Amino acid sequence: MITMGIDIGSLLSKVVIMDGDSLISSGIVDTTGNIAGEIDGLVASVLSDAGIGRDKLEGAAGTGSGAELLENVDFREDEVTCVGTAAGYLLPEISMAVDIGGQSITAILLDAEGEVINFMRNDKCASGSGRFLEVMSGAVGIGVDAIDETAAGAKKPVHISSQCGVFAESEVISHVNAGEDAADIVAGLCEAVANIVAAQARKFGAEEKYTLTGGVARIDTISKVISGKLGGTFFPFPHDPRLASAIGAALLAGME
Amino acid sequence: MFAGIDIGSLTAQAVLLEDGNVTLSKSISVRPNPVESARAVMGQLLEENNLSWGDIGYCVSTGYGREKIQGKGMAQENVSEISCHGLGALSLVPQVRTVIDIGGQDAKVIRVDGAGELVDFVMNDKCAAGTGRFLEVMCRTLGVALEDLGPMSQGARGHIHLSSRCSIYAETEVLHYLQRGVDMASLAAGINRSMAHRVIALVRRVGVEKEVLMSGGVAKNVAVRAELEKMMNVKMVTPRLDPQLVGAFGAAVMARKASGAA
Repeated sequence: MITMGIDIGSLLSKVVIMDGDSLISSGIVDTTGNIAGEIDGLVASVLSDAGIGRDKLEGAAGTGSGAELLENVDFREDEVTCVGTAAGYLLPEISMAVDIGGQSITAILLDAEGEVINFMRNDKCASGSGRFLEVMSGAVGIGVDAIDETAAGAKKPVHISSQCGVFAESEVISHVNAGEDAADIVAGLCEAVANIVAAQARKFGAEEKYTLTGGVARIDTISKVISGKLGGTFFPFPHDPRLASAIGAALLAGME
Repeated sequence: MFAGIDIGSLTAQAVLLEDGNVTLSKSISVRPNPVESARAVMGQLLEENNLSWGDIGYCVSTGYGREKIQGKGMAQENVSEISCHGLGALSLVPQVRTVIDIGGQDAKVIRVDGAGELVDFVMNDKCAAGTGRFLEVMCRTLGVALEDLGPMSQGARGHIHLSSRCSIYAETEVLHYLQRGVDMASLAAGINRSMAHRVIALVRRVGVEKEVLMSGGVAKNVAVRAELEKMMNVKMVTPRLDPQLVGAFGAAVMARKASGAA
C-alpha cells in the first residue's frame, strides 16, 4: 500500500512516500510563510523521485504545527502520535522515543504494542531545542550541520551552566571572546543540550530501550552524550530522524 | 564617609553617604570582572570629588563578585543584593513593604517588615523572560535603544500579543509582526506588557503589600511600570533616587549601621 506522510514543522517541512513499512522517497524543505505553495512543489518532487503518480497514492496524512494548512490529505494527526507510531512500528523493542524538534522536546512513552501511553513536552521554552542549537552554533559562527565535524577536535569541552537560550548565548559569546577553541565550545554546547534533553527524558524514570528522533538526533555528538547519560540501550532511528513524524503519518494513513 | 558598591550584570554603582544622605553616586558599564568594575566605579567617584579610598570609613559590597571585592580590601563587608535592596528601599521610603527589583539578568521580589527584616522573597535568574535581558533582546530586534522602549509605547493605540514567554520564541514572533508592517508603538506596547506579565507572575508568588517600590534598570521603563501598577492595582512609590542606585545605597546604609554610627 502506497501512502504519503507530510509533516509541517516549526523550522522544516518533510514529505515521505512509503510502501507499507518501507520508505521509498523523502524530501525536506525550510518551513516558510508560503506553506501551501512549498508543499505542492515538495510533494511533486518526492512523488517523481519515487516514480509514482499521484493517482497511485492510497492514503495521505498530515501532521506538525502547520498541519491545519494542508489540503489534499485524508486526515491530520498530532505529532506525538505520529512520532510514537513511527518509533514503535520500526523499532518494536523500544519503550520510549525522545523527539527533539525545532521548537520542542517531547518524551513519548510506548507500550509493548508501540502505542503511546503518555508523553511530556516542553514547547514553552527554547532550552535544548533545535532553535537553541541554531542560536548557539550561530554564536560560534558555524552552522548546525558543522557541529559534529567541529566538536570532533575537542580536547576540553567548556562548561555552559545556563539552561536559558538567551543566557547560554551570552556564555558562548564570552567563551568565544576569551579565545577558547571552537571545538571545545561546540562540544560544550552539545553537552549542554544533551543534559537538558536527558533531564526531560528522565522525568519518566529510566527507560531501558529508546530512540531519538527530530533534527537534533542527527547530530551524533549530542546523541552519544544523551545515550551515555540515559544508560540503557539506544536504538538509532533507522532513517533520517527528522522524518520520524512524517513516516508515522504515512504509516497511520496505511492503517486507516 | 560610608560607601556601598553594587555590581550588576550590565552596570556597576557606587554610593557615598554623609549624614545618612546620598551625597555622591556614580554608575558605569561593567568591566570584564566585578573587581575591576568595583575599582573603576568607586575610583572614578572618588577622583571626581577630590576624595581618596582613605576617606571611606566603612564600605559594603553587594551584587556579583561581592566576596572578591571584599577580599581585595575595597570593602569591609559583603551583603546579599536582597538585603541591600530591601534596606535601601526602606531607607528611602519607610512605608515600603514590597520591593520589585528587575536587573539586567535577574528579577527579584522582596518583602520586608517595618524594621527592614526580610519576610519573604522570590527570584528568577534562570530564564531571561521577565528580566532586563528580555527587553534588551527585543530592542535589538526592533533596532531601538533600551531607554526609548518605554516612551515609544506611550502613544500606542493597540498592542501586539506575544504568545511566547521564551525570549527566543518571542523574538521570532516580533520579527513576524515587523515583517507584517505593524507600527512600532504597538510592538513596543506589546513587549512592555509581556514583560510586566512575567514580572507580575513572580510578584504573585510572594504577594503584594503596600507600599511598593521598584528598583533596578527596568524601573526606568515608564510603560512597564504603568502596566505593573494596573495589574497590581497599586500605585508604586517613586524614590528620590535613580532606581538603579537602590542596591548600592542599601549597601552604604548597611555600612553606616555596621560601623556603629547613628
